[in-house]
Amino acid sequence: MNLVVPPRPKYREARYAYATVLPVVLLVALFTLYPIGFAVVTSLREVVLYKPESTPFVGLKNYVDVIRSEFFTSAWGHTLTFAAGAVPFATVLGFGIAHLLNARTRMASFLNVTILLPWAIPTVISGIIWAWIFNSSYGAFNGALYSLGVIERYVPWLSRPTTALLSVLFAHVWKEVPLTSILYLAALQAIPDELFDAARADGAGALAALRHITIPLLIPTTLIIVVYETMVAIVTFDLLYVMTGGGPGGATSLISYFVYNSMFTSYNFGQGAALAVLLAASLVVFIVIYLRLLRSEELYRE
Amino acid sequence: MSARRSIVSLLVALGLTTAVAFGATPVQLTFTVWSYSNDVILDNIKKFEAKNPGIKVAMQDFSWEKYTDVMTARFVGKTSTDVAYSSDHWLQQWAAANWIVPLEDFFPQVKPYKPDFAPYAIEGMTYKGKLYGLPYYADTIIFIYNEDMLKKAGFSSPPATWDDVTKMALAMKEKKIVEYPIMFQFQDITPWYIEVFLSMVYSSKDFRMFDNNLNAIFDKDGSAAHKVAQWLVDGMRKHKIINPASLETTEIPLVKAMGAGQVAFAVLPKYNLADLNTPGAHAQAGKFKMALMPGETHGTVGFVRFYAMTKMAADRGKDARDAAWKFLEYFGGRTDGQFAVVKRWALEKGLGFAQLPLYKDQQIRAAINKWGNVTLEEQQSKLARAKEALTPFWGPWSLEFQKEMNKALLGQKTALDALKASAAKWKEMKK
Repeated sequence: MNLVVPPRPKYREARYAYATVLPVVLLVALFTLYPIGFAVVTSLREVVLYKPESTPFVGLKNYVDVIRSEFFTSAWGHTLTFAAGAVPFATVLGFGIAHLLNARTRMASFLNVTILLPWAIPTVISGIIWAWIFNSSYGAFNGALYSLGVIERYVPWLSRPTTALLSVLFAHVWKEVPLTSILYLAALQAIPDELFDAARADGAGALAALRHITIPLLIPTTLIIVVYETMVAIVTFDLLYVMTGGGPGGATSLISYFVYNSMFTSYNFGQGAALAVLLAASLVVFIVIYLRLLRSEELYRE
Repeated sequence: MSARRSIVSLLVALGLTTAVAFGATPVQLTFTVWSYSNDVILDNIKKFEAKNPGIKVAMQDFSWEKYTDVMTARFVGKTSTDVAYSSDHWLQQWAAANWIVPLEDFFPQVKPYKPDFAPYAIEGMTYKGKLYGLPYYADTIIFIYNEDMLKKAGFSSPPATWDDVTKMALAMKEKKIVEYPIMFQFQDITPWYIEVFLSMVYSSKDFRMFDNNLNAIFDKDGSAAHKVAQWLVDGMRKHKIINPASLETTEIPLVKAMGAGQVAFAVLPKYNLADLNTPGAHAQAGKFKMALMPGETHGTVGFVRFYAMTKMAADRGKDARDAAWKFLEYFGGRTDGQFAVVKRWALEKGLGFAQLPLYKDQQIRAAINKWGNVTLEEQQSKLARAKEALTPFWGPWSLEFQKEMNKALLGQKTALDALKASAAKWKEMKK
């Protein structure tokens, strides 16, 4: 007698799968969907902390107010300028350092540890350290430049709009390069050596190997790094808050600073939430643009 | 039967132990401060706890520049806070947001303290007619100068007007005594910025920044605020006597720079004079003097920082409220008939005080004269005014004002345009 086992119904498998992931999904939803929903609801109301008795529904008024405000355009200008500097520098420097670390020299293991130090220091602490380094009166940077004869008098790096933004940018890139270099290093080490052997056998030099093997195969990693670093650059707050307080004269007040400022200084949670929602929406737009531009999977297959 | 008796005995013993344990639990108070002489605060707390064994105080400190932001996050997040430092800057906001409570509503015994306090201090601690705190300290913003540098420049007495300050600073610059004789704490977010600016405005005859209906009038051409703003812009951009690093400087680095001989003139809270003249604390210690605020009237800002009780403490119940009152009275009021803690701050750190009877204390008079001039201090104190137009949005408005002023100091707009932008912001927030 042949026993025919009926196939298990698909809906049963599906139910089992949903039941398995449901606890995790609920937990994630609690810490993501709920705050997002709360922020959106808050952004549609007038929520001012020193008027706790009344939080009326105002529709899109908060959004209109922040978009029309004087700071919105200038803050986005500063933010995009900052991101335009931070992303390429962090990416290119990370790429270069990863190559050095991949060279398998005697110093490699020491460098592997050293490169992680900036990443290990909390951002607030690194901001304080860099504020000291760039200090106009007693900073080590001024001291070094003065001793080398590069400058005749100490420069107020954090008191001028352009140099203040550059100083914060420098500190930010210093903090981010460890991550980008480690990501690139992992990707470099995943490239099979046979590809490089074959290229050498065909007479390709180092530059040709870099152009035709390394860079194309690192595009997926580059996409991840560029997307991540763009997000980090746009939302960066703690470093500039500690180094410059958004100054001088608002020169280092990025859009993230205004989210904080609206909520914790002006006590206007409605406008702060509206800014946060706009910021999140902007990040989604940037990510979609990157995904379209880089099209990594097609290039990888080629 | 004996087993039942054993169980009953055990239950009774357990019950008694629990009752004793709960009865012995001290009341915990969380006390938030901005960092300043934390060792003295902790010692005061120790002495308070020794006097009040049923109360335990846990202190948490944050930097002065970030204090209001941190406290906002604490109040919004309902992080346990029972008593806190507060300031006349933020009283209106915190009281309107119902984060701190009027002491008079819970402790009628606070009212008899009022006649002892300086009028500008009472004004700074009162919201809607009710007292919200007992003073931690009250002080004035003063003009400090390095007497040595002044003499080297060829002057025997301090400046009486802001034109004098310019003249003397230019002389110092010319004689290469110091490159930038004047420095301010003008970082965008430092709470001292607005008080320093106002102290310079209040030394004028027509000092009013707002009218009786709280409309901004400081943005008029030729107003006292315009004259001060223009003086600052000229000082930084034309005469180059004000250090451009002022835009990144906060209080402590300014005091260090002055103590190191890099600054000849500064406008600072008075207690810094005690620090500057403490032997061994700074290279130039002992050379600093106070002058009446340069200007027509020599008026200045008087400010008060105080101990407040939070709504969280009030809601905790009678035991917590009673403990909070004992704490507030120990730190800001009388203990055994003396303003002991306030006197200690005055003697050891040179902090000013709102408690007027202390001016008659010979120990305090002698201590002040070691680093300052008690007669001049009293005179300046009588000319001090509380900040005008304190409203729930005054704090955020002041930060916008500071940002606009810094744009003028950077040459991005004129002094008058900066004031007009600040006035527009005031109008918008007032709505």
